[in-house]
Amino acid sequence: MTADQPGTAVYVYGIVPAAETIEVESPGVGEAGGGVRSVVQGAIAALVSDVEAGPLAAARGLRGHWGVLEEAVSKTTVLPVRFGTVLESETVLVEEYLGARHDQLAAQLEELAGKVQLTVKGFYDEERLLRGVVERSPAVARLSQGVRGKPEAATYYDRIRLGELVAGEVEQAREGDAALVLGRLEPLALAARREPPSTRDGAVHAAFLVERGRIDEFSRAVSELAAEVEGRMQLRYLGPLPPYSFTEEESVAWA
Amino acid sequence: MAVATGGGYLERPRPSGLADVIDVILDKGLVIDAYVRVSLIGIEILTIDARIVIASVDTYLRFAEAVNRLDIAQSDDSQGLPELMESMTEGGSKSKTKGALEGAKEKLGIGDDDEDEDTGDKDDGEKEERRTRRRSSRSSKSDDE
Repeated sequence: MTADQPGTAVYVYGIVPAAETIEVESPGVGEAGGGVRSVVQGAIAALVSDVEAGPLAAARGLRGHWGVLEEAVSKTTVLPVRFGTVLESETVLVEEYLGARHDQLAAQLEELAGKVQLTVKGFYDEERLLRGVVERSPAVARLSQGVRGKPEAATYYDRIRLGELVAGEVEQAREGDAALVLGRLEPLALAARREPPSTRDGAVHAAFLVERGRIDEFSRAVSELAAEVEGRMQLRYLGPLPPYSFTEEESVAWA
Repeated sequence: MAVATGGGYLERPRPSGLADVIDVILDKGLVIDAYVRVSLIGIEILTIDARIVIASVDTYLRFAEAVNRLDIAQSDDSQGLPELMESMTEGGSKSKTKGALEGAKEKLGIGDDDEDEDTGDKDDGEKEERRTRRRSSRSSKSDDE
């Protein structure tokens, strides 16, 4: 097929079943016109773009990368590849990756067929959360009183201590809410993974592997839960996503 | 795909904005062995990893500041705030790290819609300043301690 061309490289988005090869319309990360194509090897195929060797623009790259994966998950099962993965050539892709990992990747695709990831994130109203902490914890209230209005240098360690205590209280709240969310939604999913909240006001971040046919049922449960915790915690509900949290990572240590 | 029956709040998953999924995109996915890989895109990505660096002490300090803002809002004392704001914007390398991080996020063009996650501290700060100003103009005479 395509001969390897000097000066070009192959950007890899994800791995899909070869039997369900899809046409991807999203432009991808490359310069205009390149588009996204499939490189088939046995039962699996990689979604790729041909790119110039050398750094790509990160902004377009990230959007392009996500655009392709989002479209792919709407059409088939896709194992997402880490953002920014560029291989030297199609030959290298086929021989060193698709060929070398074929059975393992094919097995994963089979296992995940017909399933998608749905993600639920909870966020606290920070002011409300912190007021609760101050009311509950005399130590926090006392330290907070102590540092107020004093110069920074004089209270540096007190402020760290104060923040540390608060962080501990917030952590406890997170534990409780994660248990609530998982307890309610996990029974409707095939698997669940808890991820660390990524922002300071983040309460819960949980990923669920759900059969496509049960998305509606799952959605109703999320909706009920959202109503229940309203005011205290705001839920966001995302998906269907590629099964990021359920894709086995290669055991490769990279510096 | 997901079809909502009621069409109400959270009846079905939202199409994911980039900001909602930035963490999974950057942190997860199959890693192809380093020796066949040419490169990861751009240095900006490394900058984003700075979010891990700023996590600990900076987080504690920001919690402390946020709690203090509560106190200030409760009492009529608007004194401590400018100092606290200042102490947050100074502080050497950690705020530089944060600056770089936000710069990278801008470059990536995320946080464009209604994302709470990315509107960040600047907005909080501005809001807080406005509130303070309103308060101090109302109670025009604030006694200095």
